[in-house]
Formats: sequence, structure tokens, C-alpha cells
Amino acid sequence: MATLTDPSGIAGTVKPRIVRQYNFAQTMPALVLILVFFVLPVFALLLRSVLEPQPGFGNYAELLGSTTYLKIFLNTFVVSALVTAVSLAIGFPVAWALAIMPSRLSSVVFAILLLSMWTNLLTRTYAWMVLLQRTGVINKSLMGLGLIDEPLPLVNNLVGVTIGMTYIMLPFIILPLYGVIRRIDPAILQAAALCGATRWQALTRILIPLAAPGMVSGALMVFVMSLGYFVTPALLGGTANMMLAELIAQFVQSLVNWGMGGAAALVLLVVTLTLYALQLRLFGPARMGGR
Amino acid sequence: MLLNFERLGAWKWILLVITGLTAAFLILPILFIAALSFGSSQWLIFPPPSWTLQWYTAFFADPRWLEAAWTSFRIAVMVTVLSVLIGLVASFGLVRGRFIGKEALRALFLTPMILPVVVLAVALYAFFLRIGLNGTTTGFVIAHLVVALPFSILSITNALEGFEKSIEDAAVLCGAHPLEAKIRVTLPAISHGLFSAAIFSFLTSWDEVVLAIFMASPTLQTLPVKIWTTLRQDLTPVIAAASTLLVIVTIALMLLAALVRKGLKS
Repeated sequence: MATLTDPSGIAGTVKPRIVRQYNFAQTMPALVLILVFFVLPVFALLLRSVLEPQPGFGNYAELLGSTTYLKIFLNTFVVSALVTAVSLAIGFPVAWALAIMPSRLSSVVFAILLLSMWTNLLTRTYAWMVLLQRTGVINKSLMGLGLIDEPLPLVNNLVGVTIGMTYIMLPFIILPLYGVIRRIDPAILQAAALCGATRWQALTRILIPLAAPGMVSGALMVFVMSLGYFVTPALLGGTANMMLAELIAQFVQSLVNWGMGGAAALVLLVVTLTLYALQLRLFGPARMGGR
Repeated sequence: MLLNFERLGAWKWILLVITGLTAAFLILPILFIAALSFGSSQWLIFPPPSWTLQWYTAFFADPRWLEAAWTSFRIAVMVTVLSVLIGLVASFGLVRGRFIGKEALRALFLTPMILPVVVLAVALYAFFLRIGLNGTTTGFVIAHLVVALPFSILSITNALEGFEKSIEDAAVLCGAHPLEAKIRVTLPAISHGLFSAAIFSFLTSWDEVVLAIFMASPTLQTLPVKIWTTLRQDLTPVIAAASTLLVIVTIALMLLAALVRKGLKS
């Protein structure tokens, strides 16, 4: 037992070392980075929207008063809503199947989902540009089957953007929905069957309502992400259906109009943060973004 | 019954078909590009008339592609190191600290994840114009660090919250210096968190397009920027070759992550 005693008296100094406060200082490097290179630049940009070219709300009046810009806002909403609806319609059955299928099968699908998610965004968009072009595989096959005589216009329009964006958003709706369906107790559905519910009744009155929070939460996330997308709409969409993120980039890059750029950025920011706040209020932070 | 795969009856096949088609929809375009990168058709005709390595030769013969790839790699490595280090220190503060506004601070650190990247890109571009960081490696690293850090903080705080702090305290009680206890007891225990932080940070930077488009200059551009500018001109199969190389890097990293996860479990 002698070895356990502490002849040097160190024990007395050990205790304060353990209760040593972990404090605010450790978050400082991250905080400085975020404040200087995130908060400050974003606020500066938003400020310019009310200061340039002259102080006032002229930029906002122009942005919200012109049909050209309103059309872009409308198009942004339409594309995002369309992408969300299609993703949800495909994502729900897939998430459902994943939640119950043998793990040998589901692990293959998960590997594909992850690979697709982590493949470079430009690679995925490029693939669709090639597939959907006039002489692309899809048009060629459709013509080969005699379904169409002329190549269909599939890129630089709403069809192209919707396909390309749905392709990117699908994993973001499947993965959280999978988590939600996985947590539903199968006994509830068994009980429904015992009580004489048909499959259809069990689906519409039990499974879908129980999965609804996950569906709404996933849909909100996909919708918000779509609103701010830049690369895919810029490459697969046409000039006729420009989206908000492209407008912001155009104001800044080609028109060098920082006032209007800042104003458009604020509009996107307000819509995004409002929808995220709604998501947080409805579902809490645990569900946000995932699992 | 609806949650029992074997007892779904005909619905089972409907679900399987939808899932199979969706999986094909997700994987085929990637395989298609990989196949075309070996095809001889300049116009990306599928199936290609014959097979060739000429697009890879063109890629490796063009110093601009190689330089862009090297720039991407350099920046991604720097971002990874900084993101894990800053994220680790911040996570200790966030998980173990007791100070007012801790939750608000955590939320602030995660906001770059939800903010539309284009807004940050435009804002940073304006800021960097003023302080002369556009078109510099430092500028790229800072921009990517801002969007990579949230992933680091998420992974590391998660791991740290699952770690029983009394084990670290026990090491200190047994005479280890608090720093030594952290390095030799806590860090190995949360290594899976550190590892996923590193992978996420690397891929975030390596694949990032929007910030990079704004930060890039004619003399300094990352691989995604080079692909972007080339894409705007034409759909040359060299992009297919570059894309396939990117996919291979991604698969390698995913396999590495899976292996490490397995290794850590056993």
C-alpha cells in the first residue's frame, strides 16, 4: 500500500489541475476566423445594398419593383418547389425500402448514395450536360425507339435544371427519411393489420403520418438548399430561367453593381434563414441536416 | 406488415423496382462519364466507336490541368490541417466550457453550413478585393476553411461528447500532466471524430466550386475552377478524364474512411 501514498505531496496540487476551467479562450481561434472572414464580410455586403450608389432603399425598390427580377424570384421558387416535390416522391419509397430491406441489399444502395453525394458537383452536372444534349444518349435512344422524330430540348431549360438538381438533392432527402422510418415501431403497423386495416389504409393513415415530420423536415432542407444553388442552374438552365444565385453572381461579376448584388443577397439570406428557423422551431436542432 | 419486408407481398416488388431504378439513376451518370473518358469520340458519342487513353494523355500533357490539380491538393491539405486543429481546440471549449452564450456560439460556428455559398462567395470576394487576397493561396485557404470548419466542429464535438471525461481525469490523478493526458488518453479515444473531421474538411475543399470561382485568378485556380471554365466553352472529353480522376480520389477516401472505421471498431 505504500506505493499508493503520496510522499511528495503532489496530491494536493492535482485537484485544482482537474477542475481547471475549460473556457471561452479555446473557442477564440475559431471565433476570430468566423467573425473576420464570415460575419464581417457578409454584413459589409448587405450594408452596401443600402449605401451604394446612394444611401437609401433604392436598390430594393428596383429589385422588387421590376418584372425582370420578380420573374427570377418566381423561377427560383418554381424550380426549388419542383425539385423538392420530385425528390420527395422518389425519396419516400426508396427510404422506406432501405429501412426494411435485407442489409446486404441496402448496403449496396447506401454505398451508391454516398458515392453520388461525394462525387464532385461539377462532375455530376457535366454528366447530365452530356447525357441530355441534343446528340446525347437520351435523345438518341428515344429517337432509336421511334418515340420522337426530333431531339427534345432537354438542356438550357426547366427540364434540365430539374433533372440535374433532383439528382443532387435525392440523397439529402433519402438519408433523413430513412432515419425517421427506421425509428417507427413495426408493431404499430402489425396492430393496424390485426385490426383489419388494408395495406392502403395502413400506408395512408399510419406510415405516412408517422413519417410526415421527416418528410416535411427533409423537404424544407432540400427546398432551402435549392434556392441558393448556383453551379447546376448556371450550367443546365437557360438564360430564360435564371435563378437567384446566378443573379447575385451576375450583379457582382459582370455588372459590378455591388448595391444590387447586396440587395439580392439579402433577399436570398432572409428567405433561407426564415425557412431554417421554421425548421428548427418545428423539429428542433437534432433533426436538422440529417441522420 | 408495411415494415416487414417479407410480408409486403406485391408491394415489395414495387419498392424494389423504384429503389433499383433510383440507384441506377444515381450511379449510371458517373459510370457513363468514366466510360466516355476512355472513348475516342470528341463529341462524346455513346457507345464510343473505339477506346483510347488520349484524353488522359491530353490531361497529363497540359501543365495547366496538372497545376490546377496540384493547387487543389495543396489547398485541401492546408485546409484539412487548420480545420482539424482549430476545430479540436474549439470543440474542447464548446463541450467542456461553462460560459454564457455557449449554445449561441456553437450555432454561429455552424452557420456557414446553411448560408447559401454564393452569398459568402460574393461577400468574401468583395472583402478580399479590399485586402488583396483574391487569387492568393491564403485567400483560397481562408475561404475554404470557413466552410470546412463546421464539419470539423460537428464531428469532433460529437466524439468528445461521447468520451467519458473521468478517464482523462484518472490519468491526471495517476500523475500525468493534463496536456499529456489529453494527448495520450483523450485524443486516441476521439480519433474517429478527428479522422472524419479530416476527411470531410479535405473533401469540402477539394470539391468546392463556388467560392473558388470567385477567388481564382488566371494564374491561380483549383481543379474545379479549371473544369468550370473549360465546361463553359465546350464539353471536351478531357473533362471526362479529369472527372474520372476526381471520382477515383473520392472513392479512395471513402474506402479509407470505411477501413479506418472498421479498424477502430475492432
